[in-house]
Amino acid sequence: MNLDLALTESEEMLKKTALDFIKRDAPKEVIQTLQETDTGYTEELWRKAVANGWLGVIIPEQYGGTGTPLTNAGVLFEALGTGPLPGPYFSSGILGSLIILEAGTEEQKQRILPAIAAGEQILTLALTEPEYSWEPGAVQTTATSKNGDFVLDGVKLFTIDAQAASHFIVAARMGKEADPAKGISLFWVDSKSDGVSVRRLSGFLAGRSFEVKLDSVKVPPSAMLGDKGGGWPALKQAIARAIPVLCAYKVGGCQAVLEMTLEYSRTRVQFGQLIGRFQRVQDMIIEMVNHADAARWTTYEALWKLDTQRPATRSVHLAKAVSSQAYWEVCTLAHRVFSGVSYSKEHPVSFHTRASRYLYHYLGDPAYHRQQIAQFLTA
Amino acid sequence: MDFSLEYTEEQEEFAKEVREWLDKNVPKDLVNPRDPLKISDEQRQKRRELGRKLGEKGWLLPGFPRQYGGSDLDVDHRFVLSQELEKAQLAFPPYYDSGLTLAASAILVCGTEEQKKHHLIPICKGEVVTWQLFTEPEAGTDEANQQANALRHVRDKDYFILNGQKIFVGGLTTHPAPPDRFLLLTRSDLEAPRHQNLAMFFAPANLPGITIQPLDLFPPGTFAQISGVTVDTAPGVKHSVFFDDVRIHESYLIGEERDGWKVATATLNVEHGGGEARVPRQNFIIERFLSYCKSNPNIVKRLKENPQLLDSVVDIYIGAEIERLFSIRNAWLASSGRRAPYAGPQLGLYAKIFGGRLVTEMAKVLGPYAVTDDAEWSLEEGMFEVGQRAGVCFAPAGTPEAQKIIISRALAIGR
Repeated sequence: MNLDLALTESEEMLKKTALDFIKRDAPKEVIQTLQETDTGYTEELWRKAVANGWLGVIIPEQYGGTGTPLTNAGVLFEALGTGPLPGPYFSSGILGSLIILEAGTEEQKQRILPAIAAGEQILTLALTEPEYSWEPGAVQTTATSKNGDFVLDGVKLFTIDAQAASHFIVAARMGKEADPAKGISLFWVDSKSDGVSVRRLSGFLAGRSFEVKLDSVKVPPSAMLGDKGGGWPALKQAIARAIPVLCAYKVGGCQAVLEMTLEYSRTRVQFGQLIGRFQRVQDMIIEMVNHADAARWTTYEALWKLDTQRPATRSVHLAKAVSSQAYWEVCTLAHRVFSGVSYSKEHPVSFHTRASRYLYHYLGDPAYHRQQIAQFLTA
Repeated sequence: MDFSLEYTEEQEEFAKEVREWLDKNVPKDLVNPRDPLKISDEQRQKRRELGRKLGEKGWLLPGFPRQYGGSDLDVDHRFVLSQELEKAQLAFPPYYDSGLTLAASAILVCGTEEQKKHHLIPICKGEVVTWQLFTEPEAGTDEANQQANALRHVRDKDYFILNGQKIFVGGLTTHPAPPDRFLLLTRSDLEAPRHQNLAMFFAPANLPGITIQPLDLFPPGTFAQISGVTVDTAPGVKHSVFFDDVRIHESYLIGEERDGWKVATATLNVEHGGGEARVPRQNFIIERFLSYCKSNPNIVKRLKENPQLLDSVVDIYIGAEIERLFSIRNAWLASSGRRAPYAGPQLGLYAKIFGGRLVTEMAKVLGPYAVTDDAEWSLEEGMFEVGQRAGVCFAPAGTPEAQKIIISRALAIGR
């Protein structure tokens, strides 16, 4: 039978390495501290991740990575999601790499990708703006030509990992066209450029979401990724490929929260008995199991389709709609089972609640992806 | 990972053999209505005949040992067989028979060698059709609370005397012929503690003192049962069975006199999804529904005028995808010999809960067309109306609440 949902030997090894890393290098005290920082990582953790090859996991070997399939990256990010390990690993290693791969010229790939794999450059996507949307029509930031350079102006909002980034990939409009997807260019922008200001958004649940202001930011022509005005299709493609890896991170989160809730319900005693014996508690846990498994299998099927060049658009929308909702609901249900003790900032359920909230809308929320599904169901 | 259900070379070879056989043996004039009640006696007769041929070939219980009428086929081959039957729009077996799903496992696990030889071959050959008689008016989800008594005859010690009533039994197999065997759970000891007071019989269904009465119920089966490629295994009709001083010889006893619960547990594990992999199934009603959302002008207009209804369409699509993936996962678990204790009941639970929810969402989209099978005005000859009736049917093979009890045990939080 071709059907085989087991991890390969190398995927098992990767999973083990990553879970050991979380256990040893990023236990809950470390994760709590990291969550409070603006970058989400420490130099030491970053070096170890680079040494493990995690930043170049999907970058082809010719550009300094290991070029493994997306499923492999999914296995890695599922393990990191159990932490949940904060930091720009996904932003740079997956989404950043994929955008360069999809949009960059050969010269840009050779210049940027090895630096990402080596952890020397940290990329993050600066796309969404005050009119929050993952559709091209919402891009209002402008790029204008001036003396052979480009000048960027605009506000990028809810940009993830902006403080950690050495470079932003900025989507900017270069002219008004009837089709909003046309006329958008992508720029590789040094985060220390004049005119760039970065501010972390407040709120416990905002996680590492930032406002990035671009005030007459000058970038050279070599910073434009690919063709002028042709950035959107490449960006869309890169996001579609990155989404299931982000979903895998959420799968890991669901699994971790489920396991700690199970453990708690097997040890916590109220009314003289283990709370897991109460059918109302069992109802909640079974709902969590269903959410976690739905997220898992929609995610890995999407990864498999992408890796085997099958049509995957529907599966990607499905995986993101299901896993974002699943992670959110699993955390909410966990708070109902744990109750008071889980409201502490030191409690790992709270780490996941935070991650499930600030990553809910990232790369499109369930409402957006459900809308995409509705379109192909009725078109 | 590989999610594909495509065959390996070896499987493809076997598939060819199966297709040729089906081509030769499946009657060309089988019709597949959506409502089990609308299958004519003549059509049922053809299916019954096909069952015998499948049995002769050793394909009714293909995984069973050859000596008992099976074919010793491994999971990969059984998978091909069920896939090919599905492609030919046939259920496996093409009629309702608890013998193949439950009784055969009970006998194989708990029967004596003589019983195996005597009972398994007719089951595997499709010569007998069996009903399962566990449920009673006072023993629903609480299956152990049996009130029908099979007590040793006072003078004639080789016999049990059976009195009582069973309910929600069987399927449409009284048409054209009544069932041949009963798999029967009873109380065998009035004093012994719960779970140690039961006996299991595999007995002829035509013993003197047995009365079978159809129940007048509106659901045709569960949504999962009537939404596959055919409704052949959906019960359609259930019955009450009354026992009035029925004499049963002790040779029909499966296991020891007080082992009934153990034997029942072995079959319930199968029934609750612990046995053979359920092959991912094409969902006929959902497919037709989704195609209506694109092509039926009436429905397309409703969706345009009320975009809120799109949410219902998407809910149905997502739920069906999750159910499909859970069944693929279970097929993989079975084919690779892995154990995931909650996977079987999880799929059963999900299918039922989703079935109940999706008919609600369908009715929102289809409007009152969802609830009529009127010859002139219904959609798809009343297909959606059958779905609506099935959407409230939760009990067969255990209520969702019973499934949750089993899942909780598997998660080590239940009793």
